[in-house]
Amino acid sequence: MAQRLIAWIDQRFPLTSFIKRELTDYLTPRNLSYWWNFGFLAGFLLMLQIISGVFLAMHYKPDVNLAFDSVQHIMREVNYGWLIRYLHSTGASAFFVVVYIHMARTLYYGSYRAPRELMWWSGQVLLILLMASAFMGYLLPWGQMSYWGAQVITSLFGATPLIGDEIVLWLRGDFVVGDATLNRFFALHYLVPFFIVGMVIIHLVALHHVKSSNPSGINLADKDNIPFHPYFTAKDLFGLGVFLIIFCGFVFFAPEFFIEAANNIPANPLQTPPHIVPEWYFLPFYTILRAIPDTLGGVVAMGLSILIFAAMPFLDRSRIPGGARFRPFYRAMFYIFMVDVAVLAYVGSQPPGGLTFKIGVAATVIYFAAFLTLPFLSRWEERWLRARGLPPALQALLDSETEPKPRREAR
Amino acid sequence: MSLRMFICFISLLTAQAAWGEGALKDVEIDHSPAALRRGAATVTSVCLPCHSLKYLHYRDLLKLGFSPEEVTGLSMGNKPEAALLALMPPDIGEQTYGRVPPDLSLMAKAREGGPHYTYSLLTGFYQDKTGETNNHLYPSIRMPDILGWSSADAAQRAVLETQANEATAFLVWAADPRAAERKRLGYYTIAYLVLLTGLLYLIKRKVWARLG
Repeated sequence: MAQRLIAWIDQRFPLTSFIKRELTDYLTPRNLSYWWNFGFLAGFLLMLQIISGVFLAMHYKPDVNLAFDSVQHIMREVNYGWLIRYLHSTGASAFFVVVYIHMARTLYYGSYRAPRELMWWSGQVLLILLMASAFMGYLLPWGQMSYWGAQVITSLFGATPLIGDEIVLWLRGDFVVGDATLNRFFALHYLVPFFIVGMVIIHLVALHHVKSSNPSGINLADKDNIPFHPYFTAKDLFGLGVFLIIFCGFVFFAPEFFIEAANNIPANPLQTPPHIVPEWYFLPFYTILRAIPDTLGGVVAMGLSILIFAAMPFLDRSRIPGGARFRPFYRAMFYIFMVDVAVLAYVGSQPPGGLTFKIGVAATVIYFAAFLTLPFLSRWEERWLRARGLPPALQALLDSETEPKPRREAR
Repeated sequence: MSLRMFICFISLLTAQAAWGEGALKDVEIDHSPAALRRGAATVTSVCLPCHSLKYLHYRDLLKLGFSPEEVTGLSMGNKPEAALLALMPPDIGEQTYGRVPPDLSLMAKAREGGPHYTYSLLTGFYQDKTGETNNHLYPSIRMPDILGWSSADAAQRAVLETQANEATAFLVWAADPRAAERKRLGYYTIAYLVLLTGLLYLIKRKVWARLG
């Protein structure tokens, strides 16, 4: 019966061949480490956020007089409303943790390099959509930090030359963040995730065309590729289990860890909180914004600090495979960059002040210097490595695999 | 860098985030059911004249182990479905204090330091040189020294400390009445996930063993 049903479907829809091509016959390098688990986790979190978000939207009221109360209604009266809301609020932070690790892995292993530029760029678009969605979602609880965060960030667009004020007015729908802003942010917060889903599909189609990168950085011979299913479904599901244990630890035992205390106070347009901080995932970029005294300059620098990742395939001019693994100077730079981002995040969480401001400026300079010196460093490093002879590990690897050739195309 | 090293690094960072809040009194809050009920009695008699706890209803107090008769006593003629509103109308509060006294439903998590803030505020009153009452944590606060802390002697303060502690415990409960349910469900969920993840690991091992 089941076979007949599948045969009936296959005649009308390529079900079996799709599963074969994309799962059971889809070749994946067998040496992928657990760092390659995070894309799958990001996909899981996208689903979790959409599902929990739909249920929250059934009880939430996007109205300045009702929004804060409706969140408390969800927390106190709705069956398991507290669970849905804490899954969603913790899920937002977890999403950024997972995506930032996913990006760091890509940078470390050089996965952004040819032929995976379009994967990297579609990922860049996903990051921006994720940030937009998170920013708009943060307004919805209508707490003090929600309100003032949105007030500050939307006012940044006022730095646009000539038409700044009009743009801010257009974004907010009012002269200050108000009911119009809350309503449109709710509508857009519901819409953007579907753009994300669409972009994820593009990301995955590109992935299945170029195949996964792997820790060695070179295309492995067929003998070292294994079907995605069952090997990586099993591995990814185990990784998901580990992730869920940590995630549920936060959801059930420290759900307010990612929620600012001030956001438990209803929004009050007449009272500015003593210290406005964005959510932790925006802190490095917030520091870059504040490091430049001029508002327009700060906004441009902040925008560039996010968009400059897209230039990585052009900035990295080394032809040595294997990402940071076989490249000592690139590796050092990677770790410096990671520490620098952590410093930027810390400075962003502090009130503006003399010394922290200077540290923020220095960290901003290092942030951009890392990108802008990369073309020279990567070229020089390649010459240095070739002059000394390639590392034995890399040479052995290159010898054991066949000549890197365009991967067998399934389609 | 191995994943294990990375996790150690992240846990160090999060441990660091727990710094700070120097001015607050770091006392252990007594969350026992009896303390919560005494705290509820204190809050409804001492705080509720001026402050509301509008997200709570009198019937919610049944969950603390009060009998229906005791809840009727605490509700001062209000219906069980009624919210815990301030006895003083908001406009009178505004006239008296210059602003409506804030709602206390979420107070235990609406300030940096959480319950320690509430406790430190209640026990932070003192009399300055001119004899005016002031507060260490919140200078020139408009709220009166409701427990009489600033004029109490050491023996009285021991009693007031307990009272402030219990009132704080009740406010923590009021800010998140589902916390106990949440933690109970959390233990089951984590236990289930540990078991599931262990099985998934075995499956992963078994599947990968085919590769040799």
